[in-house]
Amino acid sequence: MSEYITNPEETKELLPRFRLFYGVLAFTFVVFVMRLWYLQIIEGTELREFSEKNRIKQAKISAPRGLVFDRDGKILVENHPGFDVILSPQYIDNLEEVAEALSPIIKIDADKIIQKVQKSRRQNGPFAGVRVKDNLSKEEVFRLKRIRLDIPGLDIRETVVRYYPLQMNGAQLFGYVGEISKTQLPRYNELYKGFQSFEQGDVIGKNGLEEVLEKNIRGRDGIQFIQVDAFGRETQSATPNIYGEQIKDQDPVSGNSVVLTLDKSLQAVAYNVFTQAQRIGGVVAMKSNGEILAWVSTPSFNPNEFSVGISPQVWSNYINDPFKPLRNKVIQDYFSPGSTFKAFVALAALEEEVVKPYTIVNCPGLLRFGRRDYHDSVKGGHGNITIFEALERSSNVFFFKMGIALGIEKMYDYISQFGIGQKTGVDIPREAVGLMPNSAWKKANMGEEWQPGENLSNAIGQGFVQTTPLQLAVAYNAIGLEGKVVKPFVIQKIIDNQGQVVKNFSPQILRDLQNPAEARARISAETFKVVKDGLRRVVQGSRGTAKHVNIPGADVAGKTGTTQVMSFSADQIYQRCENRPIQMRHHGWFVAFAPADKPEITVAALAEHSCHGSSGAGPVVREILKAYFEKYHPDRIAEFMKKTKVIKVEEPALEGE
Amino acid sequence: MDLALQIEQRTFFKRVDWNLVVVILVLNFVGLVNLYSATHGPHSSNVDSLFINQIVWLIVGWLCFAVVTLVDYQFLSRIAYFVYFVNLAAIVYVTFHGTVALGAQRWIDFGFFRYQPSETMKLAGIVILAKVMAHKNIEGKGMGPKELFIPLLLILVPFVLVVEQPDMGTALLILVIGCSLLMFVKVRRWILVAAVTTGVVAAPVAWNYVLRDYQKNRIVNFLSPNNDRLGSGYNSIQSKIAVGSGKIVGKGFRKGTQSQLEFLPERHTDFIFSVLSEEHGFVGSFLTLILFMMLFLIIIRVASTSRDKFGAFLCVGVLAYIFWHMFINMGMVIGLLPIVGVPLPLLSYGGSSMLTTMSGVGIISSVAFRRYIF
Repeated sequence: MSEYITNPEETKELLPRFRLFYGVLAFTFVVFVMRLWYLQIIEGTELREFSEKNRIKQAKISAPRGLVFDRDGKILVENHPGFDVILSPQYIDNLEEVAEALSPIIKIDADKIIQKVQKSRRQNGPFAGVRVKDNLSKEEVFRLKRIRLDIPGLDIRETVVRYYPLQMNGAQLFGYVGEISKTQLPRYNELYKGFQSFEQGDVIGKNGLEEVLEKNIRGRDGIQFIQVDAFGRETQSATPNIYGEQIKDQDPVSGNSVVLTLDKSLQAVAYNVFTQAQRIGGVVAMKSNGEILAWVSTPSFNPNEFSVGISPQVWSNYINDPFKPLRNKVIQDYFSPGSTFKAFVALAALEEEVVKPYTIVNCPGLLRFGRRDYHDSVKGGHGNITIFEALERSSNVFFFKMGIALGIEKMYDYISQFGIGQKTGVDIPREAVGLMPNSAWKKANMGEEWQPGENLSNAIGQGFVQTTPLQLAVAYNAIGLEGKVVKPFVIQKIIDNQGQVVKNFSPQILRDLQNPAEARARISAETFKVVKDGLRRVVQGSRGTAKHVNIPGADVAGKTGTTQVMSFSADQIYQRCENRPIQMRHHGWFVAFAPADKPEITVAALAEHSCHGSSGAGPVVREILKAYFEKYHPDRIAEFMKKTKVIKVEEPALEGE
Repeated sequence: MDLALQIEQRTFFKRVDWNLVVVILVLNFVGLVNLYSATHGPHSSNVDSLFINQIVWLIVGWLCFAVVTLVDYQFLSRIAYFVYFVNLAAIVYVTFHGTVALGAQRWIDFGFFRYQPSETMKLAGIVILAKVMAHKNIEGKGMGPKELFIPLLLILVPFVLVVEQPDMGTALLILVIGCSLLMFVKVRRWILVAAVTTGVVAAPVAWNYVLRDYQKNRIVNFLSPNNDRLGSGYNSIQSKIAVGSGKIVGKGFRKGTQSQLEFLPERHTDFIFSVLSEEHGFVGSFLTLILFMMLFLIIIRVASTSRDKFGAFLCVGVLAYIFWHMFINMGMVIGLLPIVGVPLPLLSYGGSSMLTTMSGVGIISSVAFRRYIF
C-alpha cells in the first residue's frame, strides 16, 4: 500500500492499541453468535411452538368505579354492564364484506363503518381496535355473537357503563364520566405515576363528585393476558399460558364506594318541585352541622348520555342553552342577595347600637339621599316600624337608614365573617367566590372612591354584593345557630371493598361569631335572638312577606329576596315583572331555617327570572322543609298535615332505563 | 480534456473508500427491507408513511455523507467548539423547555422534524474530544489528572444534563463513547483503577438516590424477567420468543407472527432486530452481524492509516458510537442486556439516528479520502 501517507511521528504509537479493538470485536461477535445459536437453534423449536400455538396479548380490564350512596345507604350512582363492538383492522380481509354484514345488525350505514375503520387505521395504525358502536342492545349482542366466528377481527367487548338512577336530578353535583382527553392524558399520567397509566379511551370522572372522587373511586385497572389464534381471535387451550405460573392475569380492583350526606328522598322532592314549577336556578338543603341533604340545579342534563358517549348534537344543545344546564348553579351562579341581605345588616345595626330592638323608625315610601330618591318596595312605605316589622315586611327605607348609619366598612366587618363573598370550602369543584364589597375593594377594582349612596343600595343587598345559593345557606345557618359558621360538605365516608371505612369526614365549625377571639366583629346571642325573631315573623307573622310558606309546627324562620336583573327608572320599578321578557325578569331568593329555636335544617333557593322571592323560591323551600319534617319529626307537623291535602311527590323510577 | 483534470477525476474515484460505501449501502438495503416488514401488517396494501419518511432520511443521510466526505476533516477541528456549544445550548433548552414525550423532555419540535440534541451531541462530543486530545502531547504512561480535566468536563456536562431530562439510555451512551475514546488515547493505570473502584462504591448510591423507578424496574426485570407481569419483562420475553422462533432460516419476509400480530413493542425502532431475526432466522441475523463486523474492520483500517492523530481519534470515536449502539441494542433484543431505548444504527427507524450515523461514517470517509498524496 505504497500510496498511503503514513506519518510515523504522529500515528505510529497508536498502532498497537488497535489490537485491543480486534479483541473486543471478536469477543462480542462470538458471544452474540452463541446467544443467537442458543435461542434460534437449540431453543428454536420450542420457541417456534410458543409463537405458533400460544399468542398472548395484553389487554386492559377497566376497574369498575366505586358506587355512590346517600346517607341512608340508597344507591345514587352505580354501574351497568355494557357491550361494545370492536373491529381489528389487521385481521380483516375484506372490509366491505364485514361492513355489509354488520350494517343491518347495528343499524349503521356500511359506508360509515368503512370510513370509521379507515380513519382509525390512518390515525392509529392497523393494530388499534376500532370501536364501531358502543352500548349495544341485548338483541344486537345476540345477533353479533352468531356471526362473530365467521368474521375474523370482529369482537364484542364487555364494558362497564356508569349509571345515574336519578337521571337529570343532581347531575351537576354528581358530574359525569367520559373518555380522557388528549390534553388530560399527560397530566393524569403524571398524577397517577407509579399507580396506573392512562391511555386513550380510558374513562375518567369529569366534573362534580366524579371528578373530586376520581382518586378514590376509580380503582385499579387489571391486565388480562389473552390467547389469540393466528387470526387474532380469542382462544381457549388446555395449558393456562406459556409462561406457566409466571404470568397471571391481574384482576382489576374496583374503586372505593362513597357515602354522601345527601338524602335521596329530599333530593327527589327538591328536584321535582323545582322542575314542576319550571324554575331555573339552584336549591340547596343543609343540615345545621354542614351536611348537605339536597342539591339541585336546573335546567339539568342527563349524565347517562355522557356515560355512553354523548353525541355532538346533544352536547351542542347543552352548550348553547341560554340557561346553562351544565352549570352547577348552587355554587357557580352568584347574584345580589336582595332583601335576604337585610338580616345581616340588622345584626350589624343592633350590635353597633345604631338601633335598639324597640326603636321606632319612620319609613316613608321614599328616602331622599344626596340628589337621588331611594324607593321602598311598597308605594307609600311602612310608616313607623321597629326592626321586627322592618324584617317582616322587608322595608327598604329602614335598611337604607341603617346603611347610612353603619357605612360600608362596618357592614363589611360584620357580614364578611358570615362567609359572604368567600368560598364556603364545600367539597365540590369550581366554586364561585361571590363578593362582599368595601371601599378598598372598590378602589382596587374600579379605581373610584366609595360613594355614600352606595351604602344604601348595598344595605338592601342590591349593590355590588353577590352570593351563591350555598353561601347564603351557610350564612343563614350561622344566624340560626346564633353565630356558628359551618363548612358545608357532601362526602361523608369513603368505604373500601371490604366495607371498611377508609376515610370519614366530620362536621366542622369554622368560627363562632359569639366568640371575640374568632370573630372579626363579635355578635351577641341577644342580637341573634332579635333578628331570628324578625325572620320568624317573615314566615309566621300576619304581614310577613313569606307567610304562605309557613308550616305550622315546624317553626320556620327565613327571608325573601329579589335581585333586580337590570336597573329601571322609577315608573318601571312598579311595572309588573311578569310582563317582561323572561331574561329581564328579577331573580327570586328564599332562604330559611327551622325550627327557629334550635335549627336542624337550612334551605336556600335561587329561582332565576321568577320575579319574586316569596312566590318563586318560597314554595320550593317549603316543600323541602315539609318533606324533612315528615321524615324526621312527623309529630311536630302532624296536625298541619292532616289539614292540608298531601301532595305526595313520587321518586323517579329507579330500575330500567 | 487536459491531463490535470483527468488525473483529478481518476483520483477522486480512487480516493473514495468504496468498501465503506458498499457495506453501508448493503446495511441500508437490509434496513429498508426489514422496516417495510415492520411497518406493514399482513393485509395492508398502502405504503406506510413511516417507511416513506425513512427513505427521505436515508437520502438526506447520504447527502450528509457526501458533504462531510468532500470537506477536509481539519475543518471540523476549526468548528468543533462552535458546534459543541451550540449543541450544548440546545440540550440545556430541551432539558428545561423541550417537548415532553414518554415522561422525558428530549426534543425540539420543528413541525416536520423533531430534533433530539442529545443524539447529535454524541457526534459533536467525539469531534471536540478528538481535537482537544490530538493537540496534547501525551507521554507514554498516558493522561494524568491534568490532561484529563478538560476532556472529562466536556463529557460530563452534557451527561448530567441528559440524565436530568431524564434519558438514561442516551446519557450512558454519551459517557461510554467518550470514555472509550479517552481509553484509546490512554489513561494512566492508577486513574482507571480509581475510576472502577469509585464506580463500585457509587452504584448503590445511584440506585437509591439517582435512578427513577422505571429505570430501576428495567434493571430488576432484566435480572428476573418473570417478576414483572406488566411491563418490560413481557417485552423481553416476547422479543426472545421472536428471535428464537426464527430458527435457522426464519419465517420469511412479512411472515413473522410475533411482529405482525403486534406482540413486539416498538418493533420499528428499538426492537427492529427482533423482526429481522424472526423473519430471517439465524442466517439473517448472522449475516447482519457480519456486516456490522465488516463495517468495524473498515473503520479500524481507516483509523490506523489516517494522516494524523486527529483523524485517527475521529475514526475511533465514530467506531465507538456505532459499536456501542449495536452492542446495547442487540444485547437487549437477544436478552443479554436490560431493556434500554437505544436504536440500532442504520436499521432502526428514526431521523436523528440516521443523520447522525451517516454523518459519522461520512467523517470516516473524509479521513479515508485524505490518506493519499497528490
